[in-house]
Amino acid sequence: MNGHVKSMHFQQFMEPAATLLSLLLVMAVDSTRTVSASRNPGCNSLQQTLKLTRLVEKESVDLIKTYKVSQGEMSELFCKVSVNDVPDSNISGLEPSEWIVSIFTHLQAFFPHFKRVYEQQTDLQSPTSPLLAELTTVSTRSRSLAAFISSFYQGLFPNLPVPEPAGGPTTLPPPKNVFQQKVYGCVVLKTYKEFLSNVSQKLRTLKPKVCRRRMQINTLFFF
Amino acid sequence: LLFGLLLRLCVICYHLVISPDSPQSPVLEIGTDFAATCMITNTDEVTADDLYWTLSGTVVPKEQYTRINKTALSVTVPITSEKREWLLCRCKNVSAYVVLNKGRFMHGIFLTKGYRPGKPENLSCIAVQEERYISPNITCVWEAAGRQTGFVPTTYTLNVRSNIVHSPIVSVGLFPNHETLDIWVEAHNTLGKVESEHLKEEANWFVKTNPPSDVRVISERTFPTSLLINWAHPIDEVYVKLTYEIRFCPSGSQNWTYVPLVDTAKGIQSFRLQNLQPDTVYVTQVRCKNAIERGYWSNWSTNATERTPEDRPRSKPDLWKIITEDESTARQVWFICKDPVLSNGRIIRFDIKIQDHKDRVKNRSGELESIPVNRSKADPSPSQQKITILKQISLDDKKSVEVYVTAVNSVGKSPEASLVITEKVNELPTVKDLKVQRNGGQLCLEWKPPARPVSEYVVEWVSGSRIDWQREKGSTKNTVIKGSLEKFVSYTVSVYPLYSGVTGKPASKEAFLEEGVPLIGPAVKLKGKPGCNEAELVWNEIPQHSRRGFITNYTIFYTSGTKTHNITVPANTTSYTLKSLSRSTKYDTWVIASTIRGSKRGFNHSFTTLKYGTGEIEGIVVGVCLSFLFVVLLTMLLCIYKKDVIKDNFWPRIPNPGESTIGNWSPDYPLKTETPKENCLSGISVLDVDVCDGKCGSEDDKASLPLKKDKYLSEEHSSGIGGSSCMSSPRQSVSDSDEGGDMADTTASTVQYSSVVASSNGYKGQTPNFQPQQAIFSRSESTQPLLDSEENPDMLLQEGSRQSQHFSRQPSFTHTAGNEDSADPADFNQLEMEQQVLEPLDFCPLEEETTPTDGQSADGLPAALVSSYMPQLGGYRPQ
Repeated sequence: MNGHVKSMHFQQFMEPAATLLSLLLVMAVDSTRTVSASRNPGCNSLQQTLKLTRLVEKESVDLIKTYKVSQGEMSELFCKVSVNDVPDSNISGLEPSEWIVSIFTHLQAFFPHFKRVYEQQTDLQSPTSPLLAELTTVSTRSRSLAAFISSFYQGLFPNLPVPEPAGGPTTLPPPKNVFQQKVYGCVVLKTYKEFLSNVSQKLRTLKPKVCRRRMQINTLFFF
Repeated sequence: LLFGLLLRLCVICYHLVISPDSPQSPVLEIGTDFAATCMITNTDEVTADDLYWTLSGTVVPKEQYTRINKTALSVTVPITSEKREWLLCRCKNVSAYVVLNKGRFMHGIFLTKGYRPGKPENLSCIAVQEERYISPNITCVWEAAGRQTGFVPTTYTLNVRSNIVHSPIVSVGLFPNHETLDIWVEAHNTLGKVESEHLKEEANWFVKTNPPSDVRVISERTFPTSLLINWAHPIDEVYVKLTYEIRFCPSGSQNWTYVPLVDTAKGIQSFRLQNLQPDTVYVTQVRCKNAIERGYWSNWSTNATERTPEDRPRSKPDLWKIITEDESTARQVWFICKDPVLSNGRIIRFDIKIQDHKDRVKNRSGELESIPVNRSKADPSPSQQKITILKQISLDDKKSVEVYVTAVNSVGKSPEASLVITEKVNELPTVKDLKVQRNGGQLCLEWKPPARPVSEYVVEWVSGSRIDWQREKGSTKNTVIKGSLEKFVSYTVSVYPLYSGVTGKPASKEAFLEEGVPLIGPAVKLKGKPGCNEAELVWNEIPQHSRRGFITNYTIFYTSGTKTHNITVPANTTSYTLKSLSRSTKYDTWVIASTIRGSKRGFNHSFTTLKYGTGEIEGIVVGVCLSFLFVVLLTMLLCIYKKDVIKDNFWPRIPNPGESTIGNWSPDYPLKTETPKENCLSGISVLDVDVCDGKCGSEDDKASLPLKKDKYLSEEHSSGIGGSSCMSSPRQSVSDSDEGGDMADTTASTVQYSSVVASSNGYKGQTPNFQPQQAIFSRSESTQPLLDSEENPDMLLQEGSRQSQHFSRQPSFTHTAGNEDSADPADFNQLEMEQQVLEPLDFCPLEEETTPTDGQSADGLPAALVSSYMPQLGGYRPQ
């Protein structure tokens, strides 16, 4: 929205001089084509983060499918039960700096749960089960995503302090029976998938702001 | 501590030390200079002037030495070779101490050489897709630059660093999608290290995915020139966002058409190919790569094949004709055609309409005839190459027709093709100077166009029953035959000018795409029978399909076993007459047919020349006969003209006894003086017999054979009677008596003392008819009693007859007697002996002339002769 407003502002400002700059316009069209968004480090980092977020989200969806298949009967029921002590899928904070830190913190909070689910499923699944492999993959990707978020945040807000992993111990649920373990695992994965979906949405909202600078220049020359 | 102590002691014990001392085996870079210093320690026996350096046993020149002080001498050696070697500092034998402690005055270091590592070049890395993900194994390749020795190896280290994770290498077992990777190679050895250029790209830059999966091509009937392609991403877009490239070509062709990349948007999974040919099978392939500018294209997908829907034919069928001409009948015209080039579907029938060319202006409507064709879709060969025989007509030489043909498929019909066959006498002019040449495995044609404008040309080539043609524009003056031609096959290439659909007169040439050696040789045989010195050979032309090229000539070989002759004759010759052959000789002959590529020998044929030519034998026979006839005639002429001489020689004139005076003799007038003569005549006649022996003879003589002996007997008797005893021989008499019959015995017994010589007058009973020559009878005046014959006329007649024959034909008689009566050679000899005996008797009559006949008595005869006659035993009747 801000970008759009800026665009209109520049349009009004540059309208009287449009005729005079017509020659430059033609030349600029060609030059601006080569100025891609990738040349913008923040935009590039955001896009990479977005891509990785979608990737992890997709893999988490696949993981849930695999999880349901591997848990046997009543797998759908497992995922409908609510469980406490699982990180919230919602992202807190209004400003980008705030919710980016929130994303980073949430990601860090999910790692112990992934580990717990992996341990529990290790007892329930065969070592060659694709569920374990996918759990490992999602967990690893999530760590990379956290690094991406951190890097993006540092690039976007270089003067703000670097987000740190949660200092305190993550609260994990106490040992439970197999049913409760299955329910717990499914809730963790489901919540994580929802969280990633929220992350994607949040990051997409940031994309126009981060990657609009060059676009604004282009708009400047077009109007 | 112990090691240090030992080292120190050891150092102490040596008087020479090289610096740099550590390491003892320095690694030196080839191409540099190495400096070392030798120092004298713990002795005053020697100075730096007494030192010298050796490198690999060779004393280093003093120019490379640098005297630092009294106890130190340095040397600088260039490092050039790669081999390791010892650099020794040694001392001259300046004193006995040095000599005795030589080991203490020597120190060395071992030089190891190598090169600095070269900067790795052309680094590239790739990560391929494995199942649903990109493999975490990144494979990198680079080119090692520079040289290295075995003693100083270079080690390469591949470094991969993520810009996010900042880990030196990806070790989590996942490909770092969307991360920016920094990849480089570090080469290092003892002499140093160097890094390659860094590949700092997004991880997907190194990705090579699988080709698009499940590529399907969809044909839509309403779009005959379009095909829709669908495929699936080989990998989820969250990993790699892909761009695609599509290519297609008609089935069987390898000329791919590529869809521009700008038309294939990122992430698409379908594309519509347009402007395709209807009813054509197209092969389509798709590949992909990541959507960023650089990256690796995947392999092409497997072929997706689909046929475009049919459309109505958009071009004319290729109408042509075959005309066979026979003088006796009208022209036979076959109308043939190929499917339209743009048939746009399977042709199901041809519609043909034939009308008189003169009626064309008046009325174009003619009877339309449909000719269905059955083309199999499974047939892979293009339908445009198929030739369909539409119709055959008989066309008078003075008539012309115009033919209209359309091709029809399941969608519609094609434009109309037409062809005009004109009257034979009005055929339009042909092209000039047609040349057909081989060039690069093709037949190239060149011609000069006729004066009249030509709308197009038809180039036709025929081999046996196979015909094909192609069309060329009217402005064309040269072309190549585009059809598939076979090697070693003779083609009749013709160029027909077409004048607005009217066929002109063709120009034709024979041509081979490639010539070869004939498959078979000519079969030679003799024409007729061979002569004495010549033989005519004849051979058949090699069949067209076996020639495999233009026959340049035939070579005839013939040999009689010792020497082989050959004769080369032109290709249009199929017979030849061999001359100057030997008589009665067996010849082997064969013929070789040659092309420009080689020759082929035919089978041998053997023949034997005659000993005598035709008519020679007849000539010889006629010649001999004529010669014989000539000789006979000559002989006859000789006989005729020289008959007297011959007669005198062969039949000497014998005095006719009839003319003798004895003819006038009568018993009343004994002629004593005549008797000896008669006897002498008798003796002469015997000599004549010898002369004629074996030469004369006649039937008459044979007939008179029985008389011969009688004659002899008579002679003997007469000689005995006539006193001419010289003619008598006892042996002969014995012989005669042995051979003779009773008559002889009787005669011998009766004629002992007398011989009766009767004249014709004396014996009236004998007529000249029966005795053609007169018999001379003389009567002895002996007082001996007469023979019975004298008293008995019958006996006398018989006896007289014998004698008369004897006188008249004596030579023949003797001859015949010798051959027949004396079949026994002994007899013949006996005769000869008798003659020999008788020969001296020829002169007996002369003697007898001197001896009076009447004085003839037993006393007068030689005793032998006398004794030879046996006394008559009483078989005589009293006279």
